[in-house]
Amino acid sequence: MSAESIRHTPPAWLTGLREAIPLLGGYVPVAVSFGLIAAQAGFSTWEIAAISTLIYAGASQFLFVGMAAAGAPLWLTVIMTLLINVRHVVYAPNLAPWLTASRWWPWLMHGLTDQVFALAHTRLPQIAAPQRLGWFTGAAVLAWASWIAGSVLGAVSGEWLTRRWPLAGEVMPFALPALFLVLLAPRFTSFRWSLALGASVATALALTLGGLTNVSIPLAAACGALCFYAFKHRPRIMGRTGS
Amino acid sequence: MNDALWLAVMAVALGTLAMRALPLAWMQRRLHRFGDDPGLNAVPAWLGVLAPLMIAALLGVSLAPQRQDLVGWLATLIGGGVTLAVWRSTRALGWPVMAGVAAFGLVVIVARMWA
Repeated sequence: MSAESIRHTPPAWLTGLREAIPLLGGYVPVAVSFGLIAAQAGFSTWEIAAISTLIYAGASQFLFVGMAAAGAPLWLTVIMTLLINVRHVVYAPNLAPWLTASRWWPWLMHGLTDQVFALAHTRLPQIAAPQRLGWFTGAAVLAWASWIAGSVLGAVSGEWLTRRWPLAGEVMPFALPALFLVLLAPRFTSFRWSLALGASVATALALTLGGLTNVSIPLAAACGALCFYAFKHRPRIMGRTGS
Repeated sequence: MNDALWLAVMAVALGTLAMRALPLAWMQRRLHRFGDDPGLNAVPAWLGVLAPLMIAALLGVSLAPQRQDLVGWLATLIGGGVTLAVWRSTRALGWPVMAGVAAFGLVVIVARMWA
């Protein structure tokens, strides 16, 4: 790499920040909805900001606020909220082979949401090792900040925003499926993978449409894994050999 | 919020952080056992399979349109098609997403004008 090209390479954190921008299309409208719902449930703006800063997990925040406002026992609220996040345990181990030696990584895992994981799982292997910490920090901090800012915005003026720009709230969330499509497209490398990925997408979509959004991600991934391993272990028909 | 509710918030926050960070410590110890250049061999096969499937599940969840009528599904279909078409020609991250959102929005706007 020449000195000239080094001078013109943007800092890693800036690249991460730029590549996480599509996440905002999905984050901000949902965060605004959370802020609005939490404010209507009686939480103050700074309490909402604190919840979004500390918990930072979309579905479980909605559940936490809903159960707390309904007067559910707090121990049950905590358990149910944590159960929704159990799927997160498989994310960090999948990134570990690409994480460099730094004591910051465990703390940065606070920003390892579904969407940040999907982005990082694709991008980290393509980034030079010394750039990875900066890249992840930029991407994760932007996503985190947008979630907190969106929640506060929703708490302060959520009703006005949804009345004023209903179209933005309808269109911008499509950035998330579009991003996931781009991240997933290179993985359709064989019939076996296409079958497993297709089954996972279809199952998650069906469960979501059936109102089971909270359990759809682990169940759909399990269904995809079943297809993946079932295809490998399918019985061979006499006279034919499987590939 | 009263003290009990703050305690609940802290319990959920710490529990969520633990679920995100502790498995990293487990895997880093495992990688360390495999030597200086462990590569992907240290990652259990099932875990490597599960990661893309989780992303596929996220795609499935996010594909469900807010308005589940003909316009919502048509916009999703066209937006997805445009996203993939732009990705095939650019192999980039940002442009396909922008093009997909624009196509999705265009379908919604045209449908509103039509109605």
